[in-house]
Amino acid sequence: MKHPETQDHTSAPAAFSGGFAGWMEQRLPIFSAFRKEYVDFPMPRNLNWLWNFGAILVVVLLLMLATGTFLAMNYTPTSAEAFFSTEAIDRQLSGGWLLRGMHVTGASLFLAALYIHLFRGLYYGSYKAPRELLWLSGLVLLVMVMGTAFAGYVLPWGQMSYWGADVMTKAVGAIPVVGSALEHVLTGGDHLGDVFLHRVFVLHFIMAFLVVGVVGLHVACVHITKSGNPLGREPKGPQDTLPFHPYYTSKDLIGLIVFAMVFSALLFFWPGLLTEPANYAPADPLHTPADIEPEWYFLPFYGLLQSVPSKFGGLLAAASAILVLFALPWLDQSPVRSARFRPACRLGLAGLVMAFILLAAVGKHHATGEWMLIGRLAGLYYFGFFLVLLPLVSRREKAQLQAASPTTSEGDA
Amino acid sequence: MTHPTDPTTAPGQDESTVPGRRDFLGMVTTAGTVTGLAACAIPFVESLKPQDSAAAHQPVEVDLSKLAPGQQMTTVWQGKPVFILRRTPEELARLQNAALNETLRDAQSEALQQPPYARNWHRSVVPEYGVYVGICTHLGCVPAYMPPTPAPDQTGFYACPCHGSHFDLAGRVLKGAPAPYNLPVPPYVMPTPTTLRLGENPKGETFDFSTIEQI
Amino acid sequence: MVRLSFTPALALLLSLPLTVRAAPPATEPEKAAPPHQTWSFDGPLGQFDQKSLQRGFTVYSQVCSACHGMRSVTYNDLSGIGLSRQALTDLAHAKQVPGPPDSMGQPTMRPGLPDDHLRSPFPNEAAAAAMMGGVAPPDQSRLAAIHPHGADWLYAFLTGYHMPPPPGAPVVPGKFYNDWADGHLVGMPPPLMNGAVQFADGTPATVAQQARDVTTFLVWASDPHRTTRHRVGLYVFAYLSGLLVLAIAWKRKIWNRAKTRTTQDADD
Repeated sequence: MKHPETQDHTSAPAAFSGGFAGWMEQRLPIFSAFRKEYVDFPMPRNLNWLWNFGAILVVVLLLMLATGTFLAMNYTPTSAEAFFSTEAIDRQLSGGWLLRGMHVTGASLFLAALYIHLFRGLYYGSYKAPRELLWLSGLVLLVMVMGTAFAGYVLPWGQMSYWGADVMTKAVGAIPVVGSALEHVLTGGDHLGDVFLHRVFVLHFIMAFLVVGVVGLHVACVHITKSGNPLGREPKGPQDTLPFHPYYTSKDLIGLIVFAMVFSALLFFWPGLLTEPANYAPADPLHTPADIEPEWYFLPFYGLLQSVPSKFGGLLAAASAILVLFALPWLDQSPVRSARFRPACRLGLAGLVMAFILLAAVGKHHATGEWMLIGRLAGLYYFGFFLVLLPLVSRREKAQLQAASPTTSEGDA
Repeated sequence: MTHPTDPTTAPGQDESTVPGRRDFLGMVTTAGTVTGLAACAIPFVESLKPQDSAAAHQPVEVDLSKLAPGQQMTTVWQGKPVFILRRTPEELARLQNAALNETLRDAQSEALQQPPYARNWHRSVVPEYGVYVGICTHLGCVPAYMPPTPAPDQTGFYACPCHGSHFDLAGRVLKGAPAPYNLPVPPYVMPTPTTLRLGENPKGETFDFSTIEQI
Repeated sequence: MVRLSFTPALALLLSLPLTVRAAPPATEPEKAAPPHQTWSFDGPLGQFDQKSLQRGFTVYSQVCSACHGMRSVTYNDLSGIGLSRQALTDLAHAKQVPGPPDSMGQPTMRPGLPDDHLRSPFPNEAAAAAMMGGVAPPDQSRLAAIHPHGADWLYAFLTGYHMPPPPGAPVVPGKFYNDWADGHLVGMPPPLMNGAVQFADGTPATVAQQARDVTTFLVWASDPHRTTRHRVGLYVFAYLSGLLVLAIAWKRKIWNRAKTRTTQDADD
């Protein structure tokens, strides 16, 4: 990929010299490229189970595209029919309840796997040189997936869908200067109706396929820089690596099966954990349901939004919580990648996870009384970690390392 | 990245001690995974099954009292256009003209394109009324009814606008046209001389419309 | 980007002193949960009791459907409670539903078909509200799913009427006292009476029995594929467990080779 392919053509002709493979090889070497990137591809041999989530995410994404396409064939994006076409999928369409169940479960677990994947990158310093683009493309994916998930949640046009959409469009309207224009473009009118629903449907559909495109970029990045590993030191040679197949195919398979078990348990036995009862009532623009809250994966941001006593300030805080991650490769200058060798950072990360969970709790309980205080402290810590703690710690670590070995910087292989 | 030696075969020791063991296990695991993936296709395929709508099987009642001789009307049955034609005695006479039958592809209605009780020279229950599903047997366009011109010795016919197939007033296809079969006759009864019920067989008849050669 | 994200942090900091203000009183005391009943359909492996479902449908069709619709459910769906094709076709046929306009363009009625929905008896929501004292009877398709503690609440509600109301309770004409209604008053008169329906299987039709059966039916209506879902889930789990054992064995075999390849420790 990175080098001219001529070298590889002469070195690996044995497998693809004759027949159709040989014919293809001279014109479009997809077979040898596949072999190079997915069979012989050198992986660090010390990866732990957290490295399974990349493969898991790819599989869930494919499942979402497949189920989504089939659901779209039975869905009607109008305010009169959206709810009832969804009900018909759940009830009358053969296999429809299973398709929709997979799509709903998939949406939640996709975000869950994404958060774990992100945390893995955070913990083992996967955002550091030379993997900044890998990290950034991953964050772009996070934002896109969140948008797609939100648009998808609107489509059944139940009470939660409607009021979630209502709050979201009003939030967009709160952006200074361009807000109200943007809100009108989004809603396509003065109320949420057919035009809005059509736009959201198209947005959901298009975004899903754009995500696939960016996943392609993300995977290309990892094939250039190679996978990181729990030690944070690059493999020194073939003795530190294993070919992707069969070592990591077999390991990923186990991860996928365990994930499928969690997925099935939620899908078949506890679907109520992921669905919001109020969304089984059709959208009613005259009655807001009592406890309106977003899906669990948005709760931390919702908590942050509520903790700031200003309409635009809250939005800015929620948006900045993701934006600050984009700056991470430049905020953390420490040459040490893995938090395994950074005790201060490890402690800080534990606090970060804690703050994230607390913010979700604030989002669930509404930021009033003590929850307001907790929300503000957790929010403060969240930003403090990235903007103050991490830069300070990394500066100290850098100084220590230079003092220990002034000739070479050990972390960068 | 550039080392071409296959690292899996480099040690070679395990392979020789337990020959085929890994391959067998790997094959079984792969087969099991593929089976599971294939099973995942079940709900997808299920969802594509056409939903059997009972409403489509309801008989449709048509009132013929306003249909004058020589006129044609179109009604809808199971989502398909159905032509109902009230033929004049002259037109009926022409349908029995042996010389004209020479120009027809299937003058005797040998292909199963009508219920057995409509397999006769007028292809209908009573000669006066012709009832045909108005879908060309070539590629599914709706043929247009061409009423007879005032010129003598002229008769009406059906002409398909898509590829020029012609059908006579008994729905029989003319030779030299791309359509392979006569127009289908739906199952129907006439409870009174001026009402017609589409989608219901006369007593004692069991004709299933889905068994015909071609719509 | 970095500068920008300082703003909310600053905003947070500045707003901290504000949090000292008194917390607003808790909105309202949490409503007591209805007493828990044992249901055959409860839990991750629960199954609907077909007999109870059919009795519940008797109650629904003779009592509830006089005012409530179940518009997401079709007569065809009733095959899920064990009704035969013929039985549900007959049921549908006994109902008159709006048909296509006749040749004069006038609205017509036609006998129902299996793929017709269980419609509300009222022509529209406004008519329902007007005739039922201002509040339209809610649709019952997902009633059990929307209400917290769906099944337990429905049962408690249906058996929670007090005639006459307990002393001290507010009396409003046209409203009835129920332990489990919001504000203890509800527009729906007590729907169930001892012996008001006859069960085909001879089960005595007490209020408690009717409440139990119609609750089962309503839970089925809000989750008609539950029994199938649980059964398919078990198969899927059995398959995944088998595959997991295979995959672990395969992975072990492969990774054992990696260990003998080099003495370098694999940090796993």
